[in-house]
Amino acid sequence: MTGAYLLSQIVNGLVLGAMYALIAIGFSMIYGIVRLINFAHGDIFAVGAFAALGSIAIAALPFPLAVLVVLLAGALVGLLVERAAFRPMRGAPQVTGFIASLAVAIILENLAVMTITAQPRTFAIPAWLGALVPLGSISVRVVDIAIIVLALVLTAALVGFVRFTRTGMAMRATAENYGVARLMGINIDRMIALAFAIGSALAAVAGLMWGAKYGQISPLMGTVPGLKAFVAAVIGGVGSISGAVLGGFVLGLAEVLFVGLLPSEFSAFRNAFVFAALILVLLVMPNGLIGKSTETRA
Amino acid sequence: MSAPAAFLLRFALPVGIGAALLYAATLSLDPYSLTILQFVGINVILAVSLNITNGFTGLFSLGHPAFMTIGGYVTAILTMPATRKTAMLRDLPSILAAHEWPFAASLTAGGLVAALAAVIVGIPVLRLRGHYLAVATLGLIFIVQSFAVNLPGITRGALGLAGLPPVTNVWWVYLVLVLTLLTCWRVKHSSLGRTMLAIRENELAAASLGVKVARTRVLSFALGAFFAGVAGGLWAHLVTLIAPGSFSILLGFQLIVMVVLGGTGSIAGAAIAAVVLTLSTEWLRPIEEAAGLFGASQIIVAVGVILVLIFRPSGLFGTAEPNVFGAFARRRRHAQSTP
Amino acid sequence: MLWVDDIHVRRGGTHALRGASLEVRRGEIVALIGANGAGKTTTLATISGLLRPRSGTVRFAAEPDAAPVELSAMKAEAIVAAGVSHCPEGRQIFANLSVAENLAIGAFLRRDREGIASDVADIHRLFPILKERAGVPGDRLSGGEQMMLAIGRALMSRPKLLLLDEPSLGLAPRLVEQIFDILERIRDEGVTVLLVEQNAAMALDIADRAYVLEAGSIVLQGTGRDLAEDPSVRRAYLGAA
Repeated sequence: MTGAYLLSQIVNGLVLGAMYALIAIGFSMIYGIVRLINFAHGDIFAVGAFAALGSIAIAALPFPLAVLVVLLAGALVGLLVERAAFRPMRGAPQVTGFIASLAVAIILENLAVMTITAQPRTFAIPAWLGALVPLGSISVRVVDIAIIVLALVLTAALVGFVRFTRTGMAMRATAENYGVARLMGINIDRMIALAFAIGSALAAVAGLMWGAKYGQISPLMGTVPGLKAFVAAVIGGVGSISGAVLGGFVLGLAEVLFVGLLPSEFSAFRNAFVFAALILVLLVMPNGLIGKSTETRA
Repeated sequence: MSAPAAFLLRFALPVGIGAALLYAATLSLDPYSLTILQFVGINVILAVSLNITNGFTGLFSLGHPAFMTIGGYVTAILTMPATRKTAMLRDLPSILAAHEWPFAASLTAGGLVAALAAVIVGIPVLRLRGHYLAVATLGLIFIVQSFAVNLPGITRGALGLAGLPPVTNVWWVYLVLVLTLLTCWRVKHSSLGRTMLAIRENELAAASLGVKVARTRVLSFALGAFFAGVAGGLWAHLVTLIAPGSFSILLGFQLIVMVVLGGTGSIAGAAIAAVVLTLSTEWLRPIEEAAGLFGASQIIVAVGVILVLIFRPSGLFGTAEPNVFGAFARRRRHAQSTP
Repeated sequence: MLWVDDIHVRRGGTHALRGASLEVRRGEIVALIGANGAGKTTTLATISGLLRPRSGTVRFAAEPDAAPVELSAMKAEAIVAAGVSHCPEGRQIFANLSVAENLAIGAFLRRDREGIASDVADIHRLFPILKERAGVPGDRLSGGEQMMLAIGRALMSRPKLLLLDEPSLGLAPRLVEQIFDILERIRDEGVTVLLVEQNAAMALDIADRAYVLEAGSIVLQGTGRDLAEDPSVRRAYLGAA
């Protein structure tokens, strides 16, 4: 095994990790504020991929504008789902929301299959994104670098928003205690909707990245990456944004290295590996790498 | 009334009437309808057995399809004619490859292997709670699928095992169904069942009363898995195929929906929900095919689920059985207070 | 300025308030005393909009010449904006927010930066410890400090009426005295106070008027001194033989 091979594996791991991180942030934000594992989150990721396909291949929008469209599309679907399915059952037992989110996932997937069929589509990217740039002993595609950079920029923007703005503070307060947040004059419905919008927008961008990286998308593409991103969120510590990002990168790297470094008989077990890792992490560190105690939350 | 007589009246009589009706059905219904009837029966087995894990003990498991897959493969491998086994499944141990098992023994073996897997997985995983347990059991589906795909010498990989002997019929399904209902009923009204409920209601209090929480959780997980394994075997020999993707997350979701809609913990509720949901999906299918809108039936069911969760959060049949159960609990309290 | 009239409230399946009525006049400290479970906290939560009454009215007039508004038809957020601030039982500081952020979130509905800054300075004068510990997460404070922060946070919305639930809960007697002194200062600076207290002796001592709540209805009312001398109150709440 050469250093160049290892380096290119690491780049691939970071790219996969960046996408997991963006999806995981949404899981974490939504869980943090409504204690809901949103199963439909992976399908919003797929929605993002198709919004990207539409805006790049059909509407021929320039790439940065397509990113904006995808962010908006994700936010919109997230808001819609929250309003239609989750808000009416707020205060119900956690299991209720979980089942509702499974139902939403089924609705989104079947709507997609009905309208655009389950057929995988080719996702072409502009030539400049496919260009190679040298990086040490290897060359990487622009799209790989773009994915990592965009993920880091979006994450930094989100962390800044949550830490330093008045609305971000109100979101943190709402995540901690609905009743007292209301006594402060905070409209908690709006904060919860905002968490759904932001989380969904980031997942949608991850969908765009997925298409750009692997060149193919399908309406059912969201299930497995969605579940793995949840694993990433748990590894990092559910409810923490920085934990989700860390978990995403750790999982992405581990998965790629697992496949790339072990004998090929094992590589087919990559999904099994990811979930075995989840179970292990849950058992050893139930609060994740940097999560707070979830005793009262779980 | 003596206990055996009461039992005879409450159980043997309905079983006999059910068998008579079933016999009438086999004479009057077309093969397609009979197949649907078998699917309904299998789904009832699945929902009622999942209810042991999710309803009685309150473990939110989505892992039923994983145990069905295990049971399905084990049963299929055992019933397969020995000549096909040696030709198709290279890595099968020779003891298994040389013999062709009878169906009943194969089903039982499928259930037992699934239960064994549940014990092995359950001992570590059942320490998890709520959402985390749900996702870990979901991961189990992927792990089992992974193995099914990647052990081609035993499972023929992604191809799956096709052309299985079509030995499942209404009577097998009915037999397993009766056994499942009987077991669930007995468990629910035994000290084990009360222990399970105590864990569901308040784990800490149950533990402080000396209930062996961990053991009971694993036991209820394994019991559910056993019936899931048997049902997987029935299913495989009904459609004459078992493949890694035969039992998906979607099925796990539908089963959970049956349990929740039926009113968690209610045997009758879960059974009725299973019947209603299976039949309504079946009835919606021709409509969706006529309209060319594939997937519409699933959307309708999913929307229905959300509406029920919003407007009837305790389940459609939530009151069907808890009343009986409440009366039972009152009687016990009464018995305890009078020395 | 606040008229609670014949409210019935259900809470978690129990009929917590059965036709309770009370009035708070501008510039008063009004104490609401009663046993555990009498409905004191429910009364405050109904006024602040966290709970909705089944029947009855809760009217509030922020200014003497303003027409009263019906609070029971308003959302909790709007009630804060109208000038009622509720400092909840058990203090309920945001543990993940710093002390400074806890104060800032109290002013969530306000946009006047200078006003907010000067109010923070006022609260720092009232409770100097909060200035010292401004950057510390809320859950690192002692019980007494949390109580001060909770009161400070509630004042940050510039309320006309402060609803205060059990400020003495779990605090050492000296701290309780200090807090009650500050309540009088707050009243003197123009904030009307409706105080719910288990510690009836302290509450009646500083209250201008007081109500006794039993099993969801008001059974007795009067000035703080009258009630403190009432034999039934002395027997039930002041530990007299």
